[in-house]
Amino acid sequence: MLKYSIRRLLGMIPMLILISIVVFSLAKLMPGDSLSGEIDPLNTSPEYIAEMREKLGYNDPLPVQYFNWITGFVQGDFGKSTRFQIPVFDLIMEKVPNTLLLGVTALVITYIMAFIMGMYSGRRPYTLGDNAIAGFNYVMLAIPSFVAAVFAIYIFAFQLNWFPFAGSVDILVEEGSFEYYMSRMHHVLLPAIVLGAMSTASYTQFLRNDIIENSRKDFVRTARAKGTPMKKIYNVHILRNSIIPLVTFLGFDFAALIGGAIITETIFTYPGIGQLFLESVTSRDYPTLMALTMLLSFLTLFGNLLADILYGVVDPRIRLD
Amino acid sequence: MASSTTITQQKKPERSLSPWQIARRKFVRNKLAMISSCFIVLVTLMSVSAPFIAPVLSPLPDISKVNISAMNIEPNGEHLLGTDKSGRDVLTRLFYGGRISLLVGFSATLIVITLGTVVGALAGFFGGFIDSILMRFTDFVLNFPFLVFVIVLNTILYGIVDGLWVLIMVIGALSWGGVARLVRSKVLAEKENEYILAALSIGCSPFKVITKHLLPNVISTIIVQGTLIFATMIVIESALSYLGFGVPQATPSWGNMLSSANEPDVLQGKPWIWMPPAIIITLTILSINFIGEGLKDALNPKSLR
Repeated sequence: MLKYSIRRLLGMIPMLILISIVVFSLAKLMPGDSLSGEIDPLNTSPEYIAEMREKLGYNDPLPVQYFNWITGFVQGDFGKSTRFQIPVFDLIMEKVPNTLLLGVTALVITYIMAFIMGMYSGRRPYTLGDNAIAGFNYVMLAIPSFVAAVFAIYIFAFQLNWFPFAGSVDILVEEGSFEYYMSRMHHVLLPAIVLGAMSTASYTQFLRNDIIENSRKDFVRTARAKGTPMKKIYNVHILRNSIIPLVTFLGFDFAALIGGAIITETIFTYPGIGQLFLESVTSRDYPTLMALTMLLSFLTLFGNLLADILYGVVDPRIRLD
Repeated sequence: MASSTTITQQKKPERSLSPWQIARRKFVRNKLAMISSCFIVLVTLMSVSAPFIAPVLSPLPDISKVNISAMNIEPNGEHLLGTDKSGRDVLTRLFYGGRISLLVGFSATLIVITLGTVVGALAGFFGGFIDSILMRFTDFVLNFPFLVFVIVLNTILYGIVDGLWVLIMVIGALSWGGVARLVRSKVLAEKENEYILAALSIGCSPFKVITKHLLPNVISTIIVQGTLIFATMIVIESALSYLGFGVPQATPSWGNMLSSANEPDVLQGKPWIWMPPAIIITLTILSINFIGEGLKDALNPKSLR
């Protein structure tokens, strides 16, 4: 297992190098200098610009430029944002907590909803309730996340006034106080529900089918023969076996959450990584764009790796080597 | 059965049904899939004939003109679905938008299916070195964060080629990985059969074996997958257009129409502008998914009915 994990981690390196070359080429193909944030925009004398270009290495051959960029990148120097004039690293770090909060809340919501619905459906398959849940899940699976988000804002934020429709925190509350954290939770809840509902459907159906399958196994019959109450059989014996495969979904969710976050954060104007990425594209903020693309690619790769490894951890019958 | 044998003996022996006929019968009996098919056909017909029916249904058939005198009209007898903030008839735009959304979805699906089938079939059939090279490449494409790269690529190519086709090519070129993997696994299983060995032993070229013998046996999987991808492509198109990175703003597509919901004022107070595209996108996706499920059921020889 350890050997496999290390091999897979090492296997990520060529992939990351390839992606970094693609990202660099893409940034070079876009119009304008990709690192021009270093140049003082108020000083427009040609000599100054030429001198700075030489100093910043824009006149070097492309491979040298790539090498300089990637060396800095590996050491955590992502360059300076052309838009905000602050290091990209700080800019990203400022937004990470927001996205993390959104992602974790969305995951918690997914798990809670999937558990309630999946356990109900698994215990009473082919009943009215089960069919209703299946139908609901089918619609949730088909409805695009941005349409769901727009409807959610319209209904819950504007018509019912339950949630705020934009931002991550109220302006007036004091940072660090109890109200501050409540306000953040209040802001994150609606986008998180929309983001979390996307993957709830597949979790629920998986859990339902697994519970039905497990309830026909011998250990359930033994437990029943010994007189264990049905409630205990379902909530302890079966659930414990059915939870394990669900863990593997976590890795794939990583990638789904990244893509989902870009859309959801933009619609809810929630200041996170996804919104920062879209803004960096529209405002041609290349250093930020390159750093974020690399970061998101890395996270996707990492998520897929996590899924594969978890697969082997929870089910020892699958041989990874 | 016993009593009917005397009658059937006099009749000509009936030909048994071909697999396609069986599949068609199963599909026609599936109510949900049939209703969905009718809906999709209706939407397609309306979109295709938009230039002809638009003048009949609305007083403002020209969608390229801004009309200051008819801004933000609520739905009434004259404008069945009202007008948007530039005074354009929502219903007319919905028809024209369908043209773009369906065209993008269909073309991108075609690219995805073609690329995926070619790569998957080659990798699965030849195996060995070709397989590992092609599959490494597929992994590479699959591991890209899709949305991120579509947006960046689209920004670069924008202006060089016509906006619509950039979008189609970019989303097509970045999403064939899943199909390639699926086709490869199917081909790997199928090529172990004896008829492939027989075809090879009488000297059929690899090209002929793949096109004549392997693909017809994989085609049902590809059709089902293609249906589901069609739905995904429509979602991607409208999501990108909604975010402002898809079809150019001047061209109406369902996603572009929905993007007017970005303004809180429109979202809160003028639901007739953004609700029609939102509803039609959802219904279209739902219908295509039902058709896909129906096809999967109908083309599966193990399912009874």
